[in-house]
Amino acid sequence: MTRTTVPVHLDINGDHHELQLEPRVTLLDALRDRLGLTGTKKGCDHGQCGACTVHVDGERVLACLTLAAQVEGRTVTTIEGLAREGEMHPVQAAFLEQDAFQCGYCTPGQIMSAVACIREGHAGSDEEIREYMAGNLCRCGAYPHIVAAVRQAALEVQS
Amino acid sequence: MTVHNIRHGDASDGAEAVGGRLSRVDGPAKITGAAKYAVEQQLEGLAYAVLVESTIASGKVRAIDTKAAEAAPGVLQVLTPDTIISLRTASDWFGTPPPDKPYCPLARDITFSGQHVAAIVAETFEQAVAAAALVKLSYDEAPSIVDLSDAKAGDGIPIDAMTKEWGDAQAAFASAPVRICAAYNTPREYQAPMEPHGLIARWEGDQLTVWEPSQWLDGMARTYAEWFGVPFENVRLVSPYIGGGFGSKALALSHGAVAACAAKMLGRPVRLVMTRPQTFTGYGGRAATRQTVTIGADAQGKIQSIVHRGVNETSIDGMWVEPLGSVTSIMYATPNFSSKQNVVRVNSVVPGAMRAPGENPSAFGIESAIDELAYEVGIDPLEIRLRNYAEQDPYAKKAWSTRQLREAFAAGAERFGWSKRSPEPRSMRDGNQLIGWGVAAGTYPVRRAYGEAIVRILADGSVEVESSSIDMGQGTYTILAQTAAETVGVRADDVVVKLGDSRFPRAGVTGGSRLAGVMTGAVYKAATSALDQLVGLAISDPRSPFHALQANTLVVANGRIGSPRGDGPDVSIAELLKSVGRDHIEATGDTMPANSTPEDRYKNYTTIAMALPHTEGDYSRHSWCAHFIEVHVDEDFGTVRVSRVVSALDSGRLYNPKLAESQWKGGIIMGIGQALLEEGIVDRRHGRIVNNNLADYLVPTNADIPDIEVISVGIPDLHSSVLGGKGVGELAIVGVAPAIANAVFHATGKRVRDLPITLEKLI
Repeated sequence: MTRTTVPVHLDINGDHHELQLEPRVTLLDALRDRLGLTGTKKGCDHGQCGACTVHVDGERVLACLTLAAQVEGRTVTTIEGLAREGEMHPVQAAFLEQDAFQCGYCTPGQIMSAVACIREGHAGSDEEIREYMAGNLCRCGAYPHIVAAVRQAALEVQS
Repeated sequence: MTVHNIRHGDASDGAEAVGGRLSRVDGPAKITGAAKYAVEQQLEGLAYAVLVESTIASGKVRAIDTKAAEAAPGVLQVLTPDTIISLRTASDWFGTPPPDKPYCPLARDITFSGQHVAAIVAETFEQAVAAAALVKLSYDEAPSIVDLSDAKAGDGIPIDAMTKEWGDAQAAFASAPVRICAAYNTPREYQAPMEPHGLIARWEGDQLTVWEPSQWLDGMARTYAEWFGVPFENVRLVSPYIGGGFGSKALALSHGAVAACAAKMLGRPVRLVMTRPQTFTGYGGRAATRQTVTIGADAQGKIQSIVHRGVNETSIDGMWVEPLGSVTSIMYATPNFSSKQNVVRVNSVVPGAMRAPGENPSAFGIESAIDELAYEVGIDPLEIRLRNYAEQDPYAKKAWSTRQLREAFAAGAERFGWSKRSPEPRSMRDGNQLIGWGVAAGTYPVRRAYGEAIVRILADGSVEVESSSIDMGQGTYTILAQTAAETVGVRADDVVVKLGDSRFPRAGVTGGSRLAGVMTGAVYKAATSALDQLVGLAISDPRSPFHALQANTLVVANGRIGSPRGDGPDVSIAELLKSVGRDHIEATGDTMPANSTPEDRYKNYTTIAMALPHTEGDYSRHSWCAHFIEVHVDEDFGTVRVSRVVSALDSGRLYNPKLAESQWKGGIIMGIGQALLEEGIVDRRHGRIVNNNLADYLVPTNADIPDIEVISVGIPDLHSSVLGGKGVGELAIVGVAPAIANAVFHATGKRVRDLPITLEKLI
């Protein structure tokens, strides 16, 4: 039994990548194992923890439940592509200021979710932030500080 | 090796000194995705290993059919007990000499479901996963004991070392006017760090490099060295960041042995990462426990006797003791006391350390029981705790080094508004929501050991710190930068801290909340020695601009050197080093006793045998806390929501309050999970963990957690550490679950003594 590979063209953080992949390769494993973009984390590989959250065409997506071949022709943004010209995104700056992480492993996924949460208009209150950030688990228990960071960044982004 | 050298504001706000609220120096790397965790190293020729595990709890593997797997695309190796190379048994974490027999990390004899039986190594991860599914196992299954509630489990083995007794507890209980007796249970719980366990192993000749998330580089390096029969120095552990551990990443485990064997056999670096389900059986979580607590008291609620009996589960061939009498024996003054403990063997992986092992379940028992006593006597649950306040360690009969628990009760109660509490159960409500207020105390001993660090003052005036200790989110990078900055007299911006490489100066285990106290002490010592050298050079070297000053000492601040009186030259450290022709100054500091031998050092850093007892000398050393928690319980559905938490904590001096507060809140949140959500559910047929994933083993989500207020009531405790800190990481989880159970009783009038407190127990 031989497995065939397919050419996959990926647009990640504005860079174009041409890969030859088995169709079963997930976007998460393509990022981490083929492209060395290890900022996107693998916590469960089953869409349960949110650590692998990236943006596809601006929407938050779980990279572990997405095949690399599915994002052909679409725009992918990972944590590595969030800062612009060396300036941290307001969400990143707020996470540092509010100490919204400890071990840092869920953090890239939290930040990608937070950016989308604010963009979606779901950062209007602490209650709303808690609900719309509930798909990203943090075992260190940084939740109150994540809420504070999203609240702070939402004000900055809107102003 | 990981380096952090990032700018953070300016020194004028005091954030950079020890005790300042400096932001995490490793933060920018973590929020930009630049932080490379252990298994994220990109290595040439990397092969991928995937484990195959047993699906029965007890019996023998009759046959392993690997034909299809071997023929699958990309497969490089199929490892079974028959094909894997033989290892030697390693010593345990006390350093006990091991039996002289081989060790095989793949099992023929099955003692629990999820035991590693085989492994596939392939060119890609996907190929290894696919081939692993083709391995066919057949078994001769034997009867198993799936958990503590199994009819075959029995009473277990008495652990005499756990017995603590004084006075005549049984007689005093029998004659006490007020008596309560109840049983308290906690289930299997899992550390569930967000980063799954895994490693990359690479051999170069007889030199092994292991990139692995580790709470104890030197201890794990020792185990690998003993397994493979190579000198300790030949093994290098690299662990730059750790994606959460909570006790689970301190020891080298069998999956690590499998990966290192595969790498050796294949002659290529091998990566092996557990799947999330495998993390529920590849190592042990918190053991399930059972306790009975009986308290005899007088009519005013003054305790006369405590009789405590505990049981925890362990595995068929391993031993784990979860010390269930640890809080019971010290929290309250009692003239008569008896605590005994058994362990029961079940078909499980050997349980392990999880955030405050022992103290956590122990507190659930005694802090629930004292609440029951308060209602029995008819006094306030806070008042009964003060009435039985232990003015000294009741067990060790020694003075507390510091115990700000009374202050914690006062500060927490004031902030929470405890005085407005209506005492009767079911007396506070908001519509169909019953409201309950509960209180409980927590404690954790100050575990101490010795540490070692290098501090270098470099030609450009910057300072470098090296240690093989680690940062899994507690803030080691940050507090060691603060310690070196304050001691030498430079800005924290100008300190580079390197951790997570066993080639650096040695450190013991990062566990038991000991690292901050141990390592700030070692860095303080090394930095003081480096500073002394610097000032000595400035005073005595004929080429120094200070030579003519004839000063006895000089002052170093903000990276500049001058005389204490402000006269004479004022030069930067870089200028001074250049003038005296030095490219750096280096000092190694350790906190070991002066006459320590190399054997003592090896033992100290690679075992826990030399840890200092918390009751050594004249004092008993502990951290303390008090939690005040409000719950809302839906009267119709029995759902419990935590709506408010105020906790006051005594961790002694805080090296960085911003980071300590984060750790405290994290402990409280894990405690909320323990109280309301977390429970490993065991299948009665095959002893499998049914909910072995993050969708079914429920940990708290953001939506489960209210705002949490933490108050520091600690004072510097120089009996506990060089700079006055006690413990932070484990303390805050202790007492949360009983505070919630007590709040649920206050809300509903139902006493739930069996965690987690789920809705079916309230309806």
